[in-house]
Amino acid sequence: MKFIIFAGTPGSGKTSIIKYVIQELKDNFKLFYVKFDCLRTLDDKRIAKKYKIPAAKKLAGELCPDHYTALEIPKIIEENQDKDIIILETAGLCLRCSPYIKEGLGINILDITSGDPSRYGPILTDADIVSVSKGDLISQAEREIFRAKILKVNAKAKIVETNGLTGEGAIDIAEYIKLSSEIKSKKLTLKHSMPSAICGYCYGNRIIDEKKVQERYLAGKKLKNLVPNLNCGKCGFKSCNEFIREVLDGNAKKEQCPFIKTIPSR
Amino acid sequence: MSKKIEKITILPGINKFGKKENFKKINIKEGEIIAIVGNTGSGKSQLLYDIERLAQKDTKSKRRILVNNKIPDKELRFNPKRKLIASLAQSMNFLTDISVKNFLNLHLESRGKKSRQGLLEEVIEEANRITGEPISPKMNLLNLSGGQSRALMVSDVANISISPIILIDEIENAGIKKEEAIKTLVKEGKIILIVTHDPSLALNANKRIIIKNGGIVKILKTTLREKGIAHYLNWIEGYNLGIRKRVRQGEEIKNVEIYCEPIKMKNNK
Repeated sequence: MKFIIFAGTPGSGKTSIIKYVIQELKDNFKLFYVKFDCLRTLDDKRIAKKYKIPAAKKLAGELCPDHYTALEIPKIIEENQDKDIIILETAGLCLRCSPYIKEGLGINILDITSGDPSRYGPILTDADIVSVSKGDLISQAEREIFRAKILKVNAKAKIVETNGLTGEGAIDIAEYIKLSSEIKSKKLTLKHSMPSAICGYCYGNRIIDEKKVQERYLAGKKLKNLVPNLNCGKCGFKSCNEFIREVLDGNAKKEQCPFIKTIPSR
Repeated sequence: MSKKIEKITILPGINKFGKKENFKKINIKEGEIIAIVGNTGSGKSQLLYDIERLAQKDTKSKRRILVNNKIPDKELRFNPKRKLIASLAQSMNFLTDISVKNFLNLHLESRGKKSRQGLLEEVIEEANRITGEPISPKMNLLNLSGGQSRALMVSDVANISISPIILIDEIENAGIKKEEAIKTLVKEGKIILIVTHDPSLALNANKRIIIKNGGIVKILKTTLREKGIAHYLNWIEGYNLGIRKRVRQGEEIKNVEIYCEPIKMKNNK
C-alpha cells in the first residue's frame, strides 16, 4: 500500500489537481480517497460519484486538523488493507506541522500567487513533491524566481507545475506516486513533530485572562489523567481532548467515558 | 550552453473522440514562426502543453514530440535548468512587489547567471521599444501599466529566459506594439509557436496549424498572397491605433482615409 498526503492551504487547488491524478490512476490501482477538512466538505461525495472509488471525509471540528489527521491515519490504514493507494487530502492549516509521514509520499500544493515560499514551514520544507499551481497567472520570470525560492527552502523537492483547470502536471504527479515506496510495516513516523499545544485555551478556555487560562489548564490536566487517552470515540466525541473541553464547559458528563478512572477518595 | 535545436517534430496523436490525427509528421525548423489557430476550446493550448513537456504519448493527446529527430532524454524534459522552452502566458500583470531593476537581477540569479555589464539596461530599452510608455529601472513592478508589464515580460523572455523555443498563448495587444514584440522574440533563429485568434498574426507566421476537436486537422503554409493580406491587416490595425490615440487626446475625428501602402517585399521567394 502506498500512502500519499496532499497538503496545501485552502483554495490552492488541491482537490482540482487530485481529481486529475485520480483519473490517471484509477484504472490500474485500487484507490481510497479521504478528505480532511475543518467544518464542511462535499469533495468525498463528488469524487466517489465521479470516479467510482471509495471515499470518506473527516471533519476536525474543534480539534487541530493536523493532530486529528495524525490520530486518524492508523484507522484509515487498518480499514483499507485491500487498497493499493490511499490518497489523503488535508489543508495543513497552520503551515507549521502538516502530518507528512516518512514512509509515505508528501505532496504540497503551493499556490504561486500566495507569496514568498520562505513563509511556509514543514508543509513545504518537508514535502517530497511541490506542485506549483496557478502558474498561468504570472509571468515566466516570476515562475522561475518562485522555483528558485522553493529550492532554497527545500533543496530536495521535486517541483511540478500544475494547473487544476486543465490537469497539466497531473501525469507527472501520478508518475511520482507510482514510483514511491510502499508502506511495509504498521510503524509510521511523522516527518516533523506537531507544535505543542498545552494551555488553558487547548481545553476550551475563552476568557482572555492569565488566571483563567491557568485555572482551565489545571482542571483540564486533572481530567486528562483520568481519561484513557485512546481517542476511542465511545464518549461520542472525536478525541479525549474534545471530551474534556465539553465536560469543562458543562456540555458533557465525566461518566460518558466508559473507561474513566474514578477519582480516588481522600 | 543548451544544445542547439535545429528542429522539432510533432508526431500524430488522437483527437477528443479518440480518432488518429491525419498527418505523418510536422517539422518545425529553427527560425520559424508557427501559428496555432482554431475555435476556443478546440485544443490549441493542449498542443502548446505537449510541446512544453516534450510529450511522449503520455498526455491526453498521445502526441509525441521529437527534438532534432530524436526522442528527448528525461533530463531534457524535466530539469528546469536545461529547459528548452520559455512561455508567455495570457497573464497581464506582475505580482511581485519589487523594483524593475531588482526584479531582473533576481530573475538572472534564479537562472544561475551573472548580470553582464549593460544587460539590464538593454532589457529595459528593448521593452521600451515595445510599449509606448517608457519604463525606468526604479519603477515598482506593481505600478507598471498593462502595456508596460507585457512589454517587460516579452523583453525578459527574449533576453533572460533565453530558450530556443518560445511558446506564446494569445499575445495581448493592449498597450504594446505587437509586431515589435514578435520581432524582439524572433531574433537569433528561435522556434516560435503562437496561439492566436488574430488573423494578422496568423498570416504573418510561416505556417499555421489548424485545430478542431482536440486534433490537428490541417497544416497550411502561408502563401505570398496571405502575407500581403497580413500586411494590409496590420496597416488597418495601425490606422485604428492612430485613431485611438487621437480619440484619447480629445480630438474630433472627422473622416477616415483608407489607403494602404503596397507591401515592400525583399526578394525572398
